[in-house]
Amino acid sequence: MSGGPLIVQSDKTLLLEIDHPDAQSCRMAIAPFAELERSPEHVHTYRLTPLGLWNARAAGHDAEGVVDALLKYSRYPVPHALLVDVAETMDRYGRLQLANDPAHGLVLRALDRVVLVEVAKSKKLAGMLGNRIDDDTIAVHPSERGRLKQALLKLGWPAEDLAGYVDGEAHPIELAEAGKDGGKPWTLRSYQREAVEAFWAGGSGVVVLPCGAGKTLVGAAAMAEAKATTLILVTNTVAGRQWKRELIARTSLTEEEIGEYSGERKEIRPVTIATYQVLTSRKKGVFTHLDLFGARDWGLVVYDEVHLLPAPIFRFTADLQARRRLGLTATLVREDGREGDVFSLIGPKRYDAPWKDIESQGWIAPAECVEVRVTLTDAERMSYATAEAEERYRMAATARTKLPVVRALVDRHPDEQTLVIGAYIDQLHQLGEYLDAPIVQGSTTNKERERLFDAFRTGEIRTLVISKVGNFSIDLPEAAVAIQVSGTFGSRQEEAQRLGRVLRPKADGRQAHFYTVVSRDTIDTEYAAHRQRFLAEQGYAYTIVDADDVLGPTLPTVD
Amino acid sequence: MSTSLADHLRSLSDESLAALLQLRPDLVVPVPADVAALAIRAQSRVSVSRALDGLDQFTLQILDAARLTRDPADGTTSVDGVLALATAGPNPPAPTTIRAAVDRLRARFLLYGPDNALRLVGGIDEISPYPAGLGRPATELDARTAALCADPAKLRRTLLSAPPSARAILDRLAAGPPVGSVPPGALQAPAIGADDDLPPDDTNGGAPTGSPVRWLVDHRLLVRVSGGKNGTNGMVELPREVGLLLRRETGPLGPLRSSPPQVTATVREPKAADSAGAGQTMEVVRHTEALLEQLAAEPALVLRSGGIGVRDLRRLVRATGLDEPTAALLLEVAYAAGLAGELELPGVAGRYGADQQVLPTAGYEVWRAGSLAQRWEQLARAWLTMTRQVGLVGQRDDRDRPITVLSAEAERAGAPAARQAVLGVLADLEPASAPSVDEVLALLDWRAPRRSRGRENAHREVLAEAATLGVTGLGALTSYGRLLLAEATAGEEGATDDPLGLRADAEDGGSAVRVLDTLLPAPVDHFLVQADLTVVVPGPPEPALAAELELIAEPESAGGASVHRITTASVRRALDAGYSADDLQELFRRRSRTPIPQGLTYLVDDVARKHGGLRIGSAGAYLRSDDEALLAEVLADRRVEALTLRRLAPTVLVTPFQANRLISVLREAGYAPVAEDATGSTVLTKPKTRRAPARVTGATRTLDPLATPRLPLPRLLGVVEQIRRGDAAARAARRAPAVVRGASPDGPVSAHSHQDAIAVLQQAVRDKALVWVGYVDAHGATASRLVRPVSLGAGYLRAEDERTEMLHTFALHRITAAVLEK
Repeated sequence: MSGGPLIVQSDKTLLLEIDHPDAQSCRMAIAPFAELERSPEHVHTYRLTPLGLWNARAAGHDAEGVVDALLKYSRYPVPHALLVDVAETMDRYGRLQLANDPAHGLVLRALDRVVLVEVAKSKKLAGMLGNRIDDDTIAVHPSERGRLKQALLKLGWPAEDLAGYVDGEAHPIELAEAGKDGGKPWTLRSYQREAVEAFWAGGSGVVVLPCGAGKTLVGAAAMAEAKATTLILVTNTVAGRQWKRELIARTSLTEEEIGEYSGERKEIRPVTIATYQVLTSRKKGVFTHLDLFGARDWGLVVYDEVHLLPAPIFRFTADLQARRRLGLTATLVREDGREGDVFSLIGPKRYDAPWKDIESQGWIAPAECVEVRVTLTDAERMSYATAEAEERYRMAATARTKLPVVRALVDRHPDEQTLVIGAYIDQLHQLGEYLDAPIVQGSTTNKERERLFDAFRTGEIRTLVISKVGNFSIDLPEAAVAIQVSGTFGSRQEEAQRLGRVLRPKADGRQAHFYTVVSRDTIDTEYAAHRQRFLAEQGYAYTIVDADDVLGPTLPTVD
Repeated sequence: MSTSLADHLRSLSDESLAALLQLRPDLVVPVPADVAALAIRAQSRVSVSRALDGLDQFTLQILDAARLTRDPADGTTSVDGVLALATAGPNPPAPTTIRAAVDRLRARFLLYGPDNALRLVGGIDEISPYPAGLGRPATELDARTAALCADPAKLRRTLLSAPPSARAILDRLAAGPPVGSVPPGALQAPAIGADDDLPPDDTNGGAPTGSPVRWLVDHRLLVRVSGGKNGTNGMVELPREVGLLLRRETGPLGPLRSSPPQVTATVREPKAADSAGAGQTMEVVRHTEALLEQLAAEPALVLRSGGIGVRDLRRLVRATGLDEPTAALLLEVAYAAGLAGELELPGVAGRYGADQQVLPTAGYEVWRAGSLAQRWEQLARAWLTMTRQVGLVGQRDDRDRPITVLSAEAERAGAPAARQAVLGVLADLEPASAPSVDEVLALLDWRAPRRSRGRENAHREVLAEAATLGVTGLGALTSYGRLLLAEATAGEEGATDDPLGLRADAEDGGSAVRVLDTLLPAPVDHFLVQADLTVVVPGPPEPALAAELELIAEPESAGGASVHRITTASVRRALDAGYSADDLQELFRRRSRTPIPQGLTYLVDDVARKHGGLRIGSAGAYLRSDDEALLAEVLADRRVEALTLRRLAPTVLVTPFQANRLISVLREAGYAPVAEDATGSTVLTKPKTRRAPARVTGATRTLDPLATPRLPLPRLLGVVEQIRRGDAAARAARRAPAVVRGASPDGPVSAHSHQDAIAVLQQAVRDKALVWVGYVDAHGATASRLVRPVSLGAGYLRAEDERTEMLHTFALHRITAAVLEK
């Protein structure tokens, strides 16, 4: 029995004991084929999934290597059945290939005739396959490339896409690492460089980096690699403007070369930044802005925040299979479980780094996460107890008792830029009044938002109250403290995003603070526990304190 | 011939005879009476067939050579003849191997006699009619064919003139067996106008007019023989001479393989194979336990036709996450190992009308207490010896009904032998070599062709099952699997040496267990606690730790290690089971190798704070009042002490007694309670007057109860007779005189007293007097009876018994005494 750091479980999870001396080399060995699922402080959990194994196969790893790695590092005997299953699963990838035939165009080619016969009979593929060219080849209409890949993945026979990419319309783009317009010289960080290289080698795929780790630069570097017209899809206008600012500062691109395609402006330029919202808006049931995809011969499509990609975008993406696609995200976890669509339509995961690793490399700020439990007043408890089920969360989350606690927390960090994040507008207004701080919410105009954010960046405003609009893609570099008072029920990725607000590296490397204020003994606590689970699994240990500890010594009471 | 075998056997030394019996143990069951009987049995079809079953392909081929070289006149052959025939083909085997094969046959007395006059044991020809796949000689079949065969040149010419399609048939028959059935109509005359002499067919370029079989029969290359199934047009046989001619290239016996087929098995790292197998053993034990736990939670019903229903199996499959074949295998193995059994359910009819359930046995508890390796060994041993072919489960039987788990249809007596054969093949290879399935089957086919043919599926299943159970790993026999197999075989053979099963290693389960133990992870007594509230046990937990975890955490993932999650619910469960918050904190501190995260400490305290916030109890009745002072007064009142009132709240008292009692006691004490119902409204009660149950009065009687009843005459007479009979009975009950009872201390009754008795009886017949007669009954017991003799003659006494009013007959020689009644 070897004393390896890895324990292979029969449910295909791998437990890696990270204090073990071989842990680092084991991590390197299993990272290509196992998905990191949880990384708490002592034992990281990886999972062997068909997707992960196929990812590894796509990257050129074979089953023998995977089995060897498992056997080499495993502390205990590995069940024979699991090894057989791994080998069989990996063997399924690439039995079918999508390729360009000089005579027949796009074809589905089989290395195993039986598999082709099996899938050709499937009802799910009806209408996607064209004429049978010979025993091993079936013609595929180019427009079905994406849908066919989706369907084949569902059938468990993922096709290897060897059909290649069109180069698109060439456009010179360079990284301005020497500094631009008098800016300081800079270089891509090592992991950003690795991510871009991995993406470019694979052709299409997703790069997973934590918030604040510089995903925008990965996108910019990929564009510099492609040197072609680029379509960038972002979550909202503010995020789009931030991309634009970053691109102008970090690349050879000028303001004139970058277009904004949003609710306000409809510019199509060599580099165009569009929002998901405008693309998915429809009039009379028809998507009106689909022309954008065909407006130019795009050489690269960048998807920001892939985990939020709305379902219609998947459908459009299915038609874009001949273009290089880069997905950027902090997490592949999707609340709707459509990870498989990301895999088949945008591409396999090309780069992933554990958050904690990047943090220990010093790129993102260390964070202290604290959950503050507030005891409701008797009156509040009574009204909570008798409230309708659907009103309960709102009742608990917006309890007035939270206000003084929030103020105490804000006062704790008098010199820090502080964000107060909530989901309920009424509560935000209360907070705004109580803390005497401006509010950014959905109805705030973009101009006003920009002004407030600028003021916050410069330190003119110290505390900002933001609604759900602040969940995504706003750049608040010096926010060091975030206090969340309410959220979208138990959404885990919302929690991750909000933490991301304070993880951007601080100029002096000081610690970031993330507070969650919850009402004790209510459904609020349960939802908070669910949201935190994601971060706890990423290794951010929560400390739970009572509100009384925050509020300071209690007043002496008289018995 | 049998006498000559008997003579031969008789002339053997004791050792040689014992050697034969060792090779063919079935000859001594039952032990034959003499050598002649032994010889007859040794030539019986059943015994010869068994002896042949154990032979390898080459030896069987040499036996065929001996059969083919028999002198038709006296049925003898010689070693030289066999050698000549066996080496006739290309690539002849070495003569030593042939001699070794002949020796093997002689050792089993399938061949006997001197080298130059070898005889074959009888019965072989009945078992396989076609030696070496060759037909009978032409002379036995057909005279005209014999004539053709007698002329080699003509025979060769005829063969060469055969059209390709006919030649294909010939080649197939020449490879053996030499008979084939003929499709209907194939032998009929072709259509009119067809060239009968050399029928053209499609391969010949002509019109397909005549069948090739017909051509062959017409040209005497095939001979029609009787037999064949209905619907076919009889059979054709290829004469031996033609067959031999066709086998010019392969040799008269067909291709000879004097050594087993070469195996190009990949040789695994022995450690890797062992490790993969050991991993599988952990799975097997864990899955078996999960299955049995599931059975314990919801026992499976036994179908009327036997076995567990498909629906129950699917339920188990769903609950355990196994696939159906594996679940079926593990259930069968657990049953064979005595871990599961049926329980009768008297008077309970289930959905399927079943009245038996399958659930874990008491042996399961013992099994669970064992170490991983011991548990596995029990399962694997059961698997090796169980007479079940689990692969049949899910298939359909002869009547097209699905075969279910544990049903009688999956019973196969040959299953253990098949397992030993397959694993034996693996065991004989290099350690840790992993042959492909086809190679294993080819080896089996060579080793014992008569046993293996037609059982390929069963053998494939054995290999799959061995992999599932961890007997093999990465396709190779594991080291502990090898030991287990050796122990199992040794156990079978050594049963005679050790009839009481007192093997030295019986206690700890043998060396297989020890080897496996070193491969399996050692139990651990600690865990790692993490901030996401998961608890990781880095190995199989100790029983005590496992029990604790079962209570305080939810299992998330199992295998070599186990992952548990601590949730609010699991902490509450632990608190319910009697742990206090401090106990839990202490447990985590004691067991954890890592610092306890603050979140966990907080969770435990938080749940403990809320635990017990609601209290439940039972009471017979309550007493409530808005007047707290009044309740205080009641509580303090000594007169109602017996009610054991308890204060739940300032305004509520409870008592274990019923509401009525409460009300009456309080009223007696001078309070004014009112009862209320579940909705709180008062219940008014009226005192009920007590009454005894209704009864019949004596006023309806008319007769004087003291008057004597008068009886009618017939009834009186009946009473009299009853009395008289009682009187007679009383007389009969008197003791018979001592002489008659035969209890005289003088010993046996003398002849004198017998004659006296006859005299007494004769006198009594005349006097019609009552006599005590003593006699010996059919069982040899002495008895006596008071009778009135009626007649005496022909050796019998007829007499009337007054008491029973029956006529009895006594044999005079049985009468021991007679005394007149005084």
